[in-house]
Amino acid sequence: MKIASMKVGFIGLGVMGVPMARHLRAAGHDLALWARRPQAAAELVAEGVPLCATPAELAARSEVVISVVTASADVDALAFGADGLAAGFAPGAIHVDMSTIAPAMARSLAQRYGAQGMGFVDAPVSGGAQGARDASLAIMAGAEADTLERVRPLLQAMGQRIVHVGPPGAGQVAKACNQMIMVSATQACAEALRLANAHGLDLGALRRALMAGSAGSRVLELMGAKMAERDFSAGIEARLHHKDFAIVMDEASALGVPLPLAAQVWQQLNALMGAGWGREDTSSLLRVLER
Amino acid sequence: MEVGFIGLGLMGRPMALNLIKAGHRVHVWSRRRESMQPLLAAGAGDCASAAEVAHCAAITISMVADTPDVEQVLLGPGGVAEGAGAGHIHIDMSTIAPAAAQSIAARLAERGVIVLDAPVSGGEGGAISAALTIMVGGDELAFEQVRPLLEAMGASITRLGGSGAGQAAKACNQILTGVGVTAVAEAFNFARKSGVDAGKVREALLGGLAYSRILENHGERMLKRNFRPGFKAWMHHKDMRIVMDEAHRLGLALPTAAATAQMFNAMLGSGLGEDDSVAMLKLFERMSGGAGE
Repeated sequence: MKIASMKVGFIGLGVMGVPMARHLRAAGHDLALWARRPQAAAELVAEGVPLCATPAELAARSEVVISVVTASADVDALAFGADGLAAGFAPGAIHVDMSTIAPAMARSLAQRYGAQGMGFVDAPVSGGAQGARDASLAIMAGAEADTLERVRPLLQAMGQRIVHVGPPGAGQVAKACNQMIMVSATQACAEALRLANAHGLDLGALRRALMAGSAGSRVLELMGAKMAERDFSAGIEARLHHKDFAIVMDEASALGVPLPLAAQVWQQLNALMGAGWGREDTSSLLRVLER
Repeated sequence: MEVGFIGLGLMGRPMALNLIKAGHRVHVWSRRRESMQPLLAAGAGDCASAAEVAHCAAITISMVADTPDVEQVLLGPGGVAEGAGAGHIHIDMSTIAPAAAQSIAARLAERGVIVLDAPVSGGEGGAISAALTIMVGGDELAFEQVRPLLEAMGASITRLGGSGAGQAAKACNQILTGVGVTAVAEAFNFARKSGVDAGKVREALLGGLAYSRILENHGERMLKRNFRPGFKAWMHHKDMRIVMDEAHRLGLALPTAAATAQMFNAMLGSGLGEDDSVAMLKLFERMSGGAGE
């Protein structure tokens, strides 16, 4: 099927953003960029992708702008700060934010865009740098159905499983659930390997044995391998999971929901940060247990 | 001394009354006018805003709920900063985050106002009997200057360091009291499920190493099923959130406090927020097949 080419803007050219932007271009879309640090865009600019001077300028030439940045405040500034996207968008344009931010911020952005006749989709992802490179990301979307349908071809260029979870903010709620399960499983994996190691077991053999049974999981496969090989270089930097846990635990506090296990995992992440491993991989949770 | 008082709730009202009793001239303002009446009846000066309070007295005190409230009464329209003269000292006795206390003190220092953070422990009872524990952070000379005022409200007054240090000590206090109430509730529920009289357990333990003020006082209220505040669970929930946010910011593991904070989340979710923190017992009863009423 031939897909209609769209004018797409992209912001956030990190380890995830660069391959995602390339997939959009490869799918035939007319891509342009904005970057807070222009050197982050150098690679794609060298490949012929135009670079705009401000988010507003990028918005003015785009039907859809996609962002993958770090925190709630970054997305807010990008959208409604000085020279922000909202200042440049034509009515009917859509901002697709694929960062992991607080659900409340996603809802607020959707509401403010809506008041100006513009659309917003929160579409956080799971799958890491590998998933971004392979265009196999799981994408959790919160949006009005018709808004999501308009950007679905773009999401399909970057991910394999696109699920419409619910209205604006719902994608971020799903991502919070994803982070809770993923990092808690990483902690369980670290504890199991720590125990096995204390018994003098071969961790590679242990992992192969467990992968065949009921405890087999993607986390045991990927994070378990990093732990067994003591390769603590980032994949996803632990500080990002730490940031996400503040979102999860703030939501739990605001809603009056007890999350006893996530609360314990959060403390292990705090200890990881305190040890100075924030820019290394979350598999460093193993090292927290070894101190 | 001439002193202003802002925020006349459950804690602020008896604290301000104790200042009057100790012979100080007190000027008051509160967001809800009716909460000012007992103070006006006791001879306090009637002010129309926090700014007016600061205009009438070179030393002011605030006792409000949360960080946005402190920012509002100090830096908002009609706030203390608008009415304060050079060398003004403000004592904030609310419980807020240490980082917020530092930021507020820095912003007011730019306008020539010295801010001390001086949160308290001891609850409504301690406020009424002028027996509060007061934990102070900020300028040492200013602290010495206002000490007579603090002595009119508290029995134990300690300066712990610079700006924010009082709030850090209060966060430690809230870890100990939050975890303590939770531990007593768990122990009493354990006793009940084991078919042992929790009242007798308490009596026995009061003589041993597990003795604590919380086992004595909070424990007694649990046994009498007196869940009236006291100290409302939602306030303790807010304080545990401050503690856990600080731990996140500092890269510090607080596993026991984290578990306790989740129980306070559950209290709010179960509609126990307006009860005293000792209603934690009800939660454990419900989690173990009891009615928890």
